[in-house]
Amino acid sequence: MTTTHRPARHSASHPSGGAPAAESRMIGVLGQFDDPAALVAAAEQAHQAGYRRLDAYSPFPVHGIDAALGIRRSRLPFFVLLIGTCGCFFGLFMQWYANAASSSPIFPGYAFIISGKPFWSIPANIPVTFEVIVLSSAFATFFGMLFLNRLPRLANPLHRIARFRRASNDRFFLVIDQDDPHFDRSRTENELLAWGSTGVEPVLQDLTDNQLPSWMKAAAVLLGLFLLLPPVLIYRAHYATNGQPRLHVIPDMDDQYRYKPQALGPNWLVNRLPQYFFVDERVMREPLLGTVARGELRNDSEYFLGIKSAPAGSALRATPNQPEQTEIVSGPRAATVQDPAAIQETAGNQEPAANQEPAANQAGAAAAGQVPAEPEPDWVTEFPSRLTIDEALMRRGRDRFQIYCTACHGYAGDGDGLVNQRAMELAVSNVIEKGTTANATWTQVKSLHDPAVTVQPIGRIFDTISHGRGTMGPYGRQIPTADRWAIVLYVKALQATRAGEPKPEPPVTEGNNPPNGQGG
Amino acid sequence: MHHKREARITSSVISLGDDAQRMIPVAFSVGLVGLGAAAALSIFTGYGGLVRFSYAYLLNFCFFASISLGALFFVTVQHLTRAGWSVTVRRIAEILAMTIIPMLLLALPLVIPVLLGWSGLYPWNAADWTARYSGHVLASVEKYKAYYLDNAFFSVRTLIYFAIWSGMAWFFYRNSLRQDQTGDPSLTLKMQKFAAPLMIVFAGTLVFASFDWEMSLEPMWFSTMFPVYFFAGCVLGGVATTLLIGLLLQRSGRVTDEITTDNFQDLGKLIFAFIVFWGYVAFSQFMLIWYANIPEETFYFGYRFDNTGYRWLSVILLFGHIFIPFLLLMPRTLKRNRRFMLGAALYMLTMHWLDHFWIVMPQYGFDGKHVAQFPFPLVEIVCLVGFSGLFVGFFCWIAADRPLVPLKDPRMSEALNYTNL
Repeated sequence: MTTTHRPARHSASHPSGGAPAAESRMIGVLGQFDDPAALVAAAEQAHQAGYRRLDAYSPFPVHGIDAALGIRRSRLPFFVLLIGTCGCFFGLFMQWYANAASSSPIFPGYAFIISGKPFWSIPANIPVTFEVIVLSSAFATFFGMLFLNRLPRLANPLHRIARFRRASNDRFFLVIDQDDPHFDRSRTENELLAWGSTGVEPVLQDLTDNQLPSWMKAAAVLLGLFLLLPPVLIYRAHYATNGQPRLHVIPDMDDQYRYKPQALGPNWLVNRLPQYFFVDERVMREPLLGTVARGELRNDSEYFLGIKSAPAGSALRATPNQPEQTEIVSGPRAATVQDPAAIQETAGNQEPAANQEPAANQAGAAAAGQVPAEPEPDWVTEFPSRLTIDEALMRRGRDRFQIYCTACHGYAGDGDGLVNQRAMELAVSNVIEKGTTANATWTQVKSLHDPAVTVQPIGRIFDTISHGRGTMGPYGRQIPTADRWAIVLYVKALQATRAGEPKPEPPVTEGNNPPNGQGG
Repeated sequence: MHHKREARITSSVISLGDDAQRMIPVAFSVGLVGLGAAAALSIFTGYGGLVRFSYAYLLNFCFFASISLGALFFVTVQHLTRAGWSVTVRRIAEILAMTIIPMLLLALPLVIPVLLGWSGLYPWNAADWTARYSGHVLASVEKYKAYYLDNAFFSVRTLIYFAIWSGMAWFFYRNSLRQDQTGDPSLTLKMQKFAAPLMIVFAGTLVFASFDWEMSLEPMWFSTMFPVYFFAGCVLGGVATTLLIGLLLQRSGRVTDEITTDNFQDLGKLIFAFIVFWGYVAFSQFMLIWYANIPEETFYFGYRFDNTGYRWLSVILLFGHIFIPFLLLMPRTLKRNRRFMLGAALYMLTMHWLDHFWIVMPQYGFDGKHVAQFPFPLVEIVCLVGFSGLFVGFFCWIAADRPLVPLKDPRMSEALNYTNL
């Protein structure tokens, strides 16, 4: 039930330019007031008179206007609470997903150990969760407010009224919608005047020109094109070559006055004079004596050395931070370059380099000339209790063996790996062509089925893998402890397959093919 | 419904009147009997002796001092911000702030033994106190902290704090009372002018008071966040007590017209704000220490989270001091419900007391490595009853038959006509 006739659509786009007054629709009636108290009083009276579709406009918030207009409390707070709660859970989920989800399909790999904290620890997540709550609540408030107010509006008929411009300065307005069931134009206007309005006029919506102006459409297209610029520039930068040096917007962040952890260097941070961070010119401190990194306490000699009851203090102090002790890890071979007394003290029962090994090693030991033969350590004969001997460990051992050992020892452990085969060929050809064995440094690789090996206790095998033996290099650095034990397990299994059989020395030129059964 | 109220006092009863005179002897008797009973209980019946009593005493002293200081902060900040809404409840806070003056008497039993060299309460008062922390600390800590943790210096500092706070409370109360008679708006401007520098002085003294009274119970530990934590509790306690007293006064038929529902809602908002602030600060303090993971800092929290009963107190504070009141004080309708807010004020004061319990009591029986089991808090509760009696006595004594709302404050109209949007 509109009070003006609604013109047909085609008449609005009539080519005759000038909009006739009839082609407008009345929205409501506007009443002007000169002070906020009058506005509140008028709003109250309008509400009491039965008007329900009305709104007030004021340059500043007027206390009590909500109640006067009969506005119910906004639903916005509940909306914000809901979104804020969602933000809380989203923030927690995000961090759990990034740091602790064991097999995330996308963006995996952020499970970093930081300060020894668990991957997912609530205290560390609280700040981010808090910020996500605040952010989501702020967005919910802002966009919820726009939504509930049906904003943004491209045009408001009120803005075509000259006197309404003072609504942002020093005048107060009450607008009663013509949709209001109580609305009657002349009566409403009279009532507004009676309630103290200093000016009343109808609010008209111009229906002749309700199309989006063409310059706005052009602007929208232009804006869209502008929005395409960044991806285009990124695409171009990705595929083009640029000879210009990089632009340093924030040089202090690009070139930071900082040092690599183990470096030496002057302290540029304080006053850019070559003062040293510490008196020893290092930029970081050495760990305190006796410090053990988390997870690096190696006080279980059976597990880490394969020796029952390690000498006191030898393995305990074998931290990577202390060079003279890390040498223990690389084994007796390294002992030749160390002070023998220190080695004896720290290595304790470690087997000296050359006992029971072929001549080449005897010569090496003789060259060192210092290390006396020591009694065999008390090798373990059972697998350490912290290992679980099962199918999985055996499979792990087979895999590690085939990665690290088969090159020399062969798939079946016969000492016929490809490296050995080729090296022996070279040695033979060397003899044939040059008639000399001077450069023949290669020693036939040991068969793991050699009786001398099969009788070895497993601790000894473990030690050989860890520290090397004879010409065999140490693998303690490459292969983690548990994997070395897995290899030991696999070696014992390999040996068990030949138990009771005669074990001929592997022919040098034969056995090219690894046993298929072991190829896995 | 929107007729502007005149700035005129319309309640029939606006002072404690004769009730104050009746209350004072009762309250002081309860106070002295309570304190005596707590002392007797701990000393003669094997509840931990004089040391236990001194911890319980300190706990309750800090609790009530924090209420006074919170109220003092409230008064100062209202003047600082030229607040109009709070005029009707400001007098209650002024009287609460004034209780800091007689509180000096209650501080003497803490200061004098320290001055005499007793180390039962503050371990730093003993020679060679670092000896109890075998292993993880340097002996030089004692040397460097000795300049600050000195019994004479400690006593002087406490006296300075009380002198400053008493002066502040007296300044605001006296000018407010004077305005009741003259209605001179220049007094408001004067208080506003002094509020800013006084706030700075207040902040400075509160920081060191929190260091002295509560943080130095564990002299090895330090946290620069601790004063903020203490302050958050202060304001929470001060505002909750102001709200509680306002509600109780209205229940007894006093100032019924002046303190409006909107005033109570605003006090509720402040409580809500400082619940959040307390949680924020408490967590900030915890998280930095947790993250850095330095033994000299973490042990303080370590034995509060150990399985000694204090763990449950920590959990109660986490939920009871933050999460539950956060949700309950959010709805507008609940903050405007007087019966609910009465319960909420009492509840938050209980939580605030437990917060001080959490700070103070784990130090009782701490030997440098292990904390004693959570004590059954009988001595502390009896002591609380005693302190409550004295505190009520102080309040009635200061209030006497003086008006409980400012009579001629220039912003009275604003407060009476204030509505929450």
